[in-house]
Amino acid sequence: MEQQRFPGTLDALEPIRKYVEATARSAGLDHKAVYKVCLAVDEIATNIVVHGYEEAGLQGDLKIGASVEDDNLVIQLEDQGKAYDPNLHLIPDAGDLSAPFESRKIGGLGIFLALDGVDDIQYKTTGKANIHRFIIRLPHEREPEE
Amino acid sequence: MPLEMSASTEGKTARLNLSGELDGASAASVRDAVDKALQSRPERLVLAVENLTFMASAGLRILIFAKQKQPDLKIYIVKPQEAIVDTLQKTGFYQSVYIVDRETEELKG
Repeated sequence: MEQQRFPGTLDALEPIRKYVEATARSAGLDHKAVYKVCLAVDEIATNIVVHGYEEAGLQGDLKIGASVEDDNLVIQLEDQGKAYDPNLHLIPDAGDLSAPFESRKIGGLGIFLALDGVDDIQYKTTGKANIHRFIIRLPHEREPEE
Repeated sequence: MPLEMSASTEGKTARLNLSGELDGASAASVRDAVDKALQSRPERLVLAVENLTFMASAGLRILIFAKQKQPDLKIYIVKPQEAIVDTLQKTGFYQSVYIVDRETEELKG
């Protein structure tokens, strides 16, 4: 998987979105699906920069790459910051999401949108790097019946 | 596309025009602009977003910030793009703001 490397700062968000948009579009996703994938990757990248690097006092890169595996587009985002598994994060439940603004909790909205935007987010940490894999099932035309 | 923003206040209406992309990098400047706009305690905050093409959760947190700072504030979002409406609906913000497709005279001041 060929990767692009960006500094682990918030300035990397825009070029990362451009990369994801071009990749998702060329994989055949429609406009709405492309937006949702961009949003998902953007939210996770933001968390990596803010929580994994800045708040942890660490510096590093964000490496992004993509491949098509079986019928899935897989976008891989790699960092060397503090480990942060999105699947273990508390996300807002139905009660939180219907709460009035005045009592709204700030946290978890980004993870909620990230998980909503793709079919799956796989996460692993190797000790040297943290790897998020965004899995998006690709639309495919039905094979003609014989 | 970088975020572009302009702010104005007329009467009891504070207005922000936002275009481009609102993400974690650009949110701080928008939050500061909202904070400044609320200093005059307007009745309404009008966000003109017809040309806002991307909004991350950082944008949602600005809405929460505004309402928590001034609970009686009415927030109007003018002509949001479909994907942004989708985000507002999924996160339950849709019921807490006024989504309008044009600015009436009332909103202009």
